[in-house]
Amino acid sequence: MKPIYVKLYYCFFALVIIISNTLNGQQVKERITVQGRVIDNADKTAIFGCSVVELDKDNRAVTGVPTDINGNFAIKISSPDNRLSFSYIGYKTIVQAISGRTTVNIGLETASSVLDEVVITGVASQTTTNTGTGLNIPVRNTTIAVSTVEVKEMQELGASSIDQALSGRLSGVDVGTTTGDPGAGMSIRIRGTASLNGSANPLIVVDGMPYETQIPSDFNFGTADEQGYAQLLNIAPTDIKDITVLKDAASTALWGSRAANGVLLINTKRGSIGKPSIIYNVKGSVSKQPEAIPLLNGDQYSTLISEMVMNRDGLPLDITTNKEFAYDPNDPLNYYNYSRNSDWIKSITQLGYLQDHNISMQGGGEKARYYASVGYFNQSGTTVGTGLNRITAKINLDYNVSSRIKFRTDITYTHVNTDFNYSGSIRSIAYTKMPNMSIYQYDEYGNLTPNYFSPASNIQGQYSGTYNPLAMALVGINHQLGERVTPKFQLEYALIPNSVLIARFDVQFDINNSKTQTFLPQLATGRPTNETSVNRATDSDGDGFNIQTKTNLVYSPKLKNGHSIQGVLSLQSNDTRSVSHNVATTNTASDILQDPSNPSRTQNSDLTLASNSSQYRSIGALVQAQYGYLERYMLQVGLRGDGNSRFGPNNRYGLFPSVSARWRVSGEPFMKSFTFLDELSLRASYGHSGNVPGSNYSFFNFYQPYNFSYAGMSGVYPSNMELVNLKWETLIGKNLGFNLGILKNRIRVDAEVYKNTTKDMFFSIDLSSYTGFDGVNMNVGTMDNQGWEIQIFTVPYKTAKWSFGFDFNIAKNINTLRSVSEFYPKTNGVKIDVNGQYQTYLQVGNPFGSYYGFKFIGVYKDAEATIATDASGNQIIGPNGQVVQMRFNYPATDYQFKPGDAMYEDINHDGNIDYKDIVYLGNGIPKFTGGFGPAITYKGNLKLSAFFNYRWGYQLINGTKMSTTSMYDFNNQSTAVLGRWRNPGDVTDMPRALYKSGYNWLGSDRYVEDASFVRLRSVTLRYNFTPDLLKQLKISTASFYITAENLFTWTKYTGQDPDVSARGETDPLSYNVDNSMTPPGKTVLLGITVGF
Amino acid sequence: MIKKSKYLALFLFAVILTTSCEKWLDLKPQDGIIRQNFWKTKEDVKAAVIGCYSSLFATTQTLFIWGEIRGDMISPTIKSSAEQLNIINGNISSSNSITSWRVLYKTINYCNTVIDFAPAVLASDKTFKEVDLNSYLAEAYALRALMYFNMLRSFGEVPLQLKSTSSDASLEQLVKSSQQEVWDQIVSDLAFAEQNAVTTYGIRQQDKGRITRYTVNAIQADVYLWMEKYTECIDACNKVIASGQFGLIAGKILGDNGIDSIINSQWYYTVFYLGNSNESIFEFQYDNQILNPFYSFFISTSRQFMGSPLVMDEIYTVDPLDDTNKDIRGDFSSIRSSDGMIWKFAGTNNTSPGTPRTSTSSYAHWFVYRYSDILLMKAEALAWSGGGAEALSLVNVIRNRANALAGTAKSPDPNSPNEVSDYIMAERAREFAFEGKRWYDILRNSKRNNYAHIQYMLDIITKIAPGDRQQYMLNKYKDVRSHYLPINLYELQTDKNLEQNPFYQ
Repeated sequence: MKPIYVKLYYCFFALVIIISNTLNGQQVKERITVQGRVIDNADKTAIFGCSVVELDKDNRAVTGVPTDINGNFAIKISSPDNRLSFSYIGYKTIVQAISGRTTVNIGLETASSVLDEVVITGVASQTTTNTGTGLNIPVRNTTIAVSTVEVKEMQELGASSIDQALSGRLSGVDVGTTTGDPGAGMSIRIRGTASLNGSANPLIVVDGMPYETQIPSDFNFGTADEQGYAQLLNIAPTDIKDITVLKDAASTALWGSRAANGVLLINTKRGSIGKPSIIYNVKGSVSKQPEAIPLLNGDQYSTLISEMVMNRDGLPLDITTNKEFAYDPNDPLNYYNYSRNSDWIKSITQLGYLQDHNISMQGGGEKARYYASVGYFNQSGTTVGTGLNRITAKINLDYNVSSRIKFRTDITYTHVNTDFNYSGSIRSIAYTKMPNMSIYQYDEYGNLTPNYFSPASNIQGQYSGTYNPLAMALVGINHQLGERVTPKFQLEYALIPNSVLIARFDVQFDINNSKTQTFLPQLATGRPTNETSVNRATDSDGDGFNIQTKTNLVYSPKLKNGHSIQGVLSLQSNDTRSVSHNVATTNTASDILQDPSNPSRTQNSDLTLASNSSQYRSIGALVQAQYGYLERYMLQVGLRGDGNSRFGPNNRYGLFPSVSARWRVSGEPFMKSFTFLDELSLRASYGHSGNVPGSNYSFFNFYQPYNFSYAGMSGVYPSNMELVNLKWETLIGKNLGFNLGILKNRIRVDAEVYKNTTKDMFFSIDLSSYTGFDGVNMNVGTMDNQGWEIQIFTVPYKTAKWSFGFDFNIAKNINTLRSVSEFYPKTNGVKIDVNGQYQTYLQVGNPFGSYYGFKFIGVYKDAEATIATDASGNQIIGPNGQVVQMRFNYPATDYQFKPGDAMYEDINHDGNIDYKDIVYLGNGIPKFTGGFGPAITYKGNLKLSAFFNYRWGYQLINGTKMSTTSMYDFNNQSTAVLGRWRNPGDVTDMPRALYKSGYNWLGSDRYVEDASFVRLRSVTLRYNFTPDLLKQLKISTASFYITAENLFTWTKYTGQDPDVSARGETDPLSYNVDNSMTPPGKTVLLGITVGF
Repeated sequence: MIKKSKYLALFLFAVILTTSCEKWLDLKPQDGIIRQNFWKTKEDVKAAVIGCYSSLFATTQTLFIWGEIRGDMISPTIKSSAEQLNIINGNISSSNSITSWRVLYKTINYCNTVIDFAPAVLASDKTFKEVDLNSYLAEAYALRALMYFNMLRSFGEVPLQLKSTSSDASLEQLVKSSQQEVWDQIVSDLAFAEQNAVTTYGIRQQDKGRITRYTVNAIQADVYLWMEKYTECIDACNKVIASGQFGLIAGKILGDNGIDSIINSQWYYTVFYLGNSNESIFEFQYDNQILNPFYSFFISTSRQFMGSPLVMDEIYTVDPLDDTNKDIRGDFSSIRSSDGMIWKFAGTNNTSPGTPRTSTSSYAHWFVYRYSDILLMKAEALAWSGGGAEALSLVNVIRNRANALAGTAKSPDPNSPNEVSDYIMAERAREFAFEGKRWYDILRNSKRNNYAHIQYMLDIITKIAPGDRQQYMLNKYKDVRSHYLPINLYELQTDKNLEQNPFYQ
């Protein structure tokens, strides 16, 4: 069967041919020669090579010739009614009607002013919004909630990807980091999370075509996780012109499926008329990991461990089997290797460097325009063994065949080469690694050898629980290669001239290949060579191929009497195929043989040899129209239908309507007297958009073979159940907004109030085990995201010399579950007797994010203190007259508190700490989030700008504090535990060390802190060279800048980093925990831009 | 003219679009087996049945823990998890993941899938005969019965799931079935299996690794013994014995002089290291492709369990006069006494100092039924049905084979079923050490005749309870409802119709 896009194209070309033939029915029979001479108007010299082109009434070039060395030309024209165009680089183009003449002499004028303009204005369509669908609506008339950021403002940051730079810039857009390693992914949330399952990242649309940012879910890449694919948004920031966020459902409805999480429209730069302008951007930076929390040294650690084990049951640590703590000089190997004060963190930390070069060239003439750029980006991370290399190239070509036919061809190429650590947990292992252990091995005479000290196991366990982090960072490999080529073609044909009816026609191919190679060295784990974790080499390859088409018919008739209307009919298709291939072998002969192609073990159920192929298709049709009257009343309606191959036959299609309107109050006659008011508009919108499940073929019941045999025979098992009931998840959004501009737009305010209801939410709900399955994806309930956003742009002070600007945005979003399936659990099922966990409850109708636990009130200082007391503080006396001990979770657990244990408040004074003593502790959803930034400009050349982001009014669980003071196992702890309870009578707030028992770190308010913060995200000083200076240097533009990032954070929070993305939004039963051990890195960046 | 052709083109466009849409969006997976293409041939049925067995590997760990750690033969190590310690200390809560029955129900679902879909294959594969179908179904029914039997002994009451889950449209919430319903189901499943199961597959490994009629008889014997139906139990045992397919591997052989008998050094190797010996009835067939979970459990330096000191001190004992005279099932067979390593699954040989299996060769089989079990089950049933003397003679067969030491010999009154069965229990502890049977033996022996003999369990608890928890544990175990595990919290949350077991409500 022929794919439908082929059919579509046949059909479209047929259409074009039919129409163009009929339009150009009358061909000219007679040919006349026109001759003449072209000279420079100023010095009257001949111009050699000037192009003389005959243009028809649609400005289509019919024929053309160049002038000779004397400036003479002769051209055979096809019609005396046509016109001649004379153009030469550096001169203004002249177009003259032939009007029957046979001799035409022309003098051209130099066009220096044209050149200046090129640099300043760039492409000239900034006053219209591009909703991506093809309508061309002026910004001031848009009816939907959008916000746009010019990328110029962000180019001074050291971000490798634009998503990093977006953080805090746009109200309602929340950008979270996963890790600070180069190439690590980011999550982007627009107005909170609209779906509890599957991807919550917005749809990215680049130059009008959806751009895949997710690896297909069936790519099964061994150890790699989501963060490995950050390269997908690797468009060089310097190539981007602007980014627009579509926020309300009326605007996202136009994109139908996948747009429920919002849409991010990215426009890249295009060429403009003028002589070639070459711009070179370079920036370099250095970043440093800030000081981590202080940890125990080897001696302090050993003391703690023996005390901790002793406290458990009074038996000392058995140092005959645990020689790590024997400190026995007669056992020299252990003695030398386990009597150190190693700083594991320091060993894997380095300064991170970044360099980014980008050269772009743009220019063009009436007919053709081009923008081409090539960039190189190189970054080494602050963790040893991480880095990113990237090459990007882009060519955007525009060609006007005539005023009715236009071509666009864009090609983007990206090559990414990322080095991750083999294991994502290197830093956390380094934090918990026993500090008395040596990094490099000592021999039995006490000499330090260059070999990594990697015992097969020790008291802390073995791989994967622990390993030598430095060896893992240096010898382990996790290498990701990505090649992505995205060619795109667009043909535009004016079916009716003067842009009344335009057919526009896009096809985009996206070839996206990635490869991951990993190697787990025995040097780091020390495991015996017959295990499958030793010298384990994997190689995974995933090839994605995607074809998307879009066919638009845009109708914009010229109406009179203040009416205006525009309509679009759009047909879109998407076909994504992916194949992947995966191999893992182990036990290569040496740490140097790091590729699975080396002879190695291949047969074991731990090992992989697998391939997979998958396909996904969707199709969409959109009808949309905008009507305007007198620039005051605007109404937009749209209807989109979608079909998607991820649903079973019963639920394959979805219909998504939208409507939005705008009333420009300031344009009404009665507002005329308010002269200070430039703009006051009210907007309202309503729309639906849909979401599809994350995986293909889920409506089939698969049988999977076991990867081992039973008694020599192979078996299969049903690996899933078919999902016949799964249907579209629908987001219904309502939005009210207003735009205000006063004092010549020196103060602009955009405000929005919204409510997004997600219906038929996908969620993988847990299933009772007797079904044989763990969970099933279902449409389980309804969730609301509601909130408001305000963006303010001001220029409070402006003179010829000085200009002071201040931008501010603030937003609030609340998630509430409105209804939910009966299968959905109502609590997070946390066990009261398990340390370190908090209770959460699902209350339909209440916002997410609250958590509950015990109140920590100190440490029992002695035996006296552990006696239970009633409400008035008197000791509780038992039936036999004996005093009653404080107990934990009687009768199920029945633990009697002992001196040194953590003391929790007995809320109901029954002498028993149990679930009745659990109280509300906090909420992890911020009351407000946003950012603000002042900018001061002096004489237009020197500019100082700063950007702050903030979250306010939320409580965070300090997971780092919890894990570094729990004294529960053999992990290293922070120096805070030096103040722990040791002897009866000690008054402290740090309980005793207790090995794997007790209840000293139950989820309590001890770890809950107010995490409101304001962070100086970046501060930049930029200097643009003055025109005089530029002339002397004979360059057209030059500037340099210096940026410092993450200089300071104001907060009461005692943990490392309060900026933890709100986890509570993704799962109503989860709560957010800060597990970061190190605050975000400080970076200093220097950049230079030179244009020729 | 212009307009006409334009509308014509648009019309064509719309027609093409709507007609091909449905086909275009209908994508089938290019690789992978889907149900619509499966269940066509007898090979498909066989693969699905073998899949049921393959899923058993996931249950081994659970079967071991449920069957052993509440007993007296296991000690925790410093690496035992908090959850394991909690169970050992009698602190059992529904939040403890050890109480999860998930892996067993997975196997049940696979069995149900075979039971639901295999019969349809008769229509599509004409070479597939009803008798073949029934023998495959017998395997599925027997495995399902075995899983329910394990759960019933552990939880007291469980929901009875008899339908496969193949579509989200067929999900439903179950209630706990009564004990009797589940028993009836087990009995009828086994009756079908007994009737239709083959007696041999012609290949030894399959005879020991798949359900045969004798495996069904063994399960029946166990079930009837638990249900205190002694005649039926003896019948089932007799069917196995009468088959002549099984026998005990000699524990002693004649010495070089032809007179003195010496310990058969091959016994351990044959029965436990290699597995599938003549005395084996049903074993999970681990091999070098699929390792058992016992390396990290018993062998590695971070092992979670070891044999209790009681195992050598009281259960096997040593001969104080002659250290070469030992119970062949003791040191270097069940346990390495020097460090308590559970040698039955860990060892490669039975001579001092012993070489444990490595992480890549840890594929000792999991022994479900051995012939000695049949003999001892029969003995137990005899003891309670007036055959005390015959019971003791069966015990002696086992004892003699294993060279049981005089220190463990007792002479119970053949007419006192309690004394005889206590003696059998002690012998079972020696014979089936660490095979996941100890706790069920203790429970069966205590609960018989409405907990007439609960003192048996309490005596054992007294021995193993940590000093500060002894009274607490004794009081707890006196409440007989505490002998069953609580239903895991997860199950209660996902099914509102499930009721927690009485002790934990």
